[in-house]
Amino acid sequence: MILSRRELLELAARAAALPGAAQFFPAWFQAGAAHQHSPAVVAPPQPPFLRDYKPVFFAPEDFDALQAFTEILIPTDDTPGAREARCAHYIDFVLQAASPELQKQWRSGMAALKGAGFHKADAGERLRLVGAMAAGEGDRSAPHPLYPVYRLIKQQNTFAFYTSRAGIIDALEYRGNSYNASFPACNHPEHKVSI
Amino acid sequence: MHDAVIVGSGACGGWAALELTRAGMKVLMLEAGAHIDPAKEFHHKYLYEMEYRGQGKPGLLRRYAGSERNYRIMLDNEENPYTTAPGTAYRWGRSRCLGGRTLHWARATDRMADYEFKAASLDGYGMNWAVTYADMKPYYDRVEAFIGVSASRDGFPQFPDGPFLPPMPMNCAETIFFAAAKSLGWPVCHRRLSQLTVAHNGRPPCHYCGNCVNGCDVGAMFNPIAVTLPPALKTGNLEVRCDSVVSHVRMNKENKAQGVTYIERYTKKAVDVDARYVILAASTLENTRLLLLSAKGGLANSSGLLGMYFMDQVGAPGVNGIIPRLKGGPSRLDDGKAAGIMTPSFQNIDSKTLRKDFIRGYMMNATGGQTEYPGFAANVPGFGSEWKKEVKSRYVAQARVWIAGAEMLARKENFVELDPEVKDAWGIPVIKIHMTQSDNEYKLVEDFQQRAMEWFKKAGGEIMPGPATPAGFPGAEGSPTANPAPRQSAGPAPGSAPKRRPLGHMIHEVGTARMSVSPKDGVLNSYCRTHDIPNLYVFGGNAFPSTGDKHPTLTMMALAARGCDNILKAER
Repeated sequence: MILSRRELLELAARAAALPGAAQFFPAWFQAGAAHQHSPAVVAPPQPPFLRDYKPVFFAPEDFDALQAFTEILIPTDDTPGAREARCAHYIDFVLQAASPELQKQWRSGMAALKGAGFHKADAGERLRLVGAMAAGEGDRSAPHPLYPVYRLIKQQNTFAFYTSRAGIIDALEYRGNSYNASFPACNHPEHKVSI
Repeated sequence: MHDAVIVGSGACGGWAALELTRAGMKVLMLEAGAHIDPAKEFHHKYLYEMEYRGQGKPGLLRRYAGSERNYRIMLDNEENPYTTAPGTAYRWGRSRCLGGRTLHWARATDRMADYEFKAASLDGYGMNWAVTYADMKPYYDRVEAFIGVSASRDGFPQFPDGPFLPPMPMNCAETIFFAAAKSLGWPVCHRRLSQLTVAHNGRPPCHYCGNCVNGCDVGAMFNPIAVTLPPALKTGNLEVRCDSVVSHVRMNKENKAQGVTYIERYTKKAVDVDARYVILAASTLENTRLLLLSAKGGLANSSGLLGMYFMDQVGAPGVNGIIPRLKGGPSRLDDGKAAGIMTPSFQNIDSKTLRKDFIRGYMMNATGGQTEYPGFAANVPGFGSEWKKEVKSRYVAQARVWIAGAEMLARKENFVELDPEVKDAWGIPVIKIHMTQSDNEYKLVEDFQQRAMEWFKKAGGEIMPGPATPAGFPGAEGSPTANPAPRQSAGPAPGSAPKRRPLGHMIHEVGTARMSVSPKDGVLNSYCRTHDIPNLYVFGGNAFPSTGDKHPTLTMMALAARGCDNILKAER
């Protein structure tokens, strides 16, 4: 059941009379019909700390290569991508505080990527290399030598993107974490019939 | 001298405080952890609002468990270590703060049925409870009516109904799973949750933010700081002292509990308090630890069974994937109630349903739809815009079946004792846990995994690889900040298979001071009073002679209510 604004007002007026409700209802009513609005309207902005973040873990050329790689994996299209989510910056931020083992894994991975020519390649060559590295996802019988590097970057990049506001709100339109007057029930009669 | 001192402020301690103060008794509550103010501590936060996106700075979650969102209401593992027997592992999920673990619990509020109270009569294993469902029903009614439980009244004999509030609606995946279970001929219903769907006893209804495990900011779910402690404090008969770490129960010469000694958390000063009744309600294992600390060989241990028959329901990975016909659907609020549907146990519940290959049972849960983080995404092949579209398409079609807890058999060889060497931050010996699973538990889990697959397929589900936090990142499996392991743990038990979850995962620990009709057979009587000491009560999971297959918290609270009635009857 989704309540109208008038119904929300009436419900809030009745419920606000309850003891203990005084602190709750202003916030609840302010966003009481959250699921009627786009999540982009309700969700707070991305905190600014990544906006001004300067990479400290990766050397500049490795960081540039990583950034290019993340943007190939999650490009900007009709929704934001890794660039807007600053995925490479976030990966650098996490790695600078990570375990020596993980840091070593990443340094080795980026060295291998450099050895394969990714750092100096043009956009088309980079896209082709990523495509070749990714082939192992479909056919694991003969994976590309850099398949583990592809998986390493893809895993961390996916996490960085889908935990960012760009990923959670703009790309996926997540509706939870909000104040709602009711829970929207399934309204598909066909779902009540087992297949 | 207080009328009663209650050690612990969780579900049972809060209930005891409510019952006794309303009857006019002067009660002192001692809580080892900090005071919690929901208005300051609990608020909605997206993953992107936290620096480490919920995983915590490396090292943080080894110390506190939980997540970056809720570690403040967890326990500091460095202050409060515990140990396990060599070659075994047990993850003890704990909180130390006002309200205890109910601040972040799963809210499942289940009545046990007579097939569980009388399980030994049905299959010949173990010991029946010293109470029946008829004994417990008035107390289930009382607790449920006060705290508010949203559920449907289903009429299942193995899952008794109560005075429920309206259930929460089902989302699309749950509706499909519900129809699938019906089609399989299984009992199925809403999960029963102490989470309000309407205003109740001065508390507002749930606003479906899905943050229950991080602490409810408005008190719409049950926990003592929102539900039982405010009215108890209002009587003027309750004093609460936080940061008070109880070290032992003190006895007098008349074989009665004189009171307890606690250590101030920060000054480390020892303080004695006296009371006519001592109630331990500090969680199952902390209660037993206190009894073991309070006398050589353990207080109230004439049976020799204190610490024995430790149990915890058994978890296991379920089935994760998508329901393809939901792919590409519109964005919906799917996880805002943090709930789901369930199938009550339908095997080994009477003589007609007995299995030959195992005894006892389990319940299953199912839900689906969007969640904040798409754990499956990194396992979707490919990259680029098409990959993004595929992730979004599957995002709203996620589906999962999981186990609500399988019964663990009571076995004497599963026990706890004091560790002779390791002490906590206050110099108090810690608990050492000896626990392994029996073949029966392995068979239950195997049966669950087969049934879960059957349910999932009947719903038209398509299995996908499970959630993936990046390997090596904070909080990920095997990372330096993965869930903390106890000291001296030597890892998984020998022979354990990857499909099994670590013991303790369910956080349903019970036993170690079981109830019995005869003092020879247990530590507590049917009122959770120690057989040996007339003014010493133990509220929590300690009294359970068996785990049953239901979530235990409601039964613990109902037992506490029954125990309080016994105290008040004696007072009259």
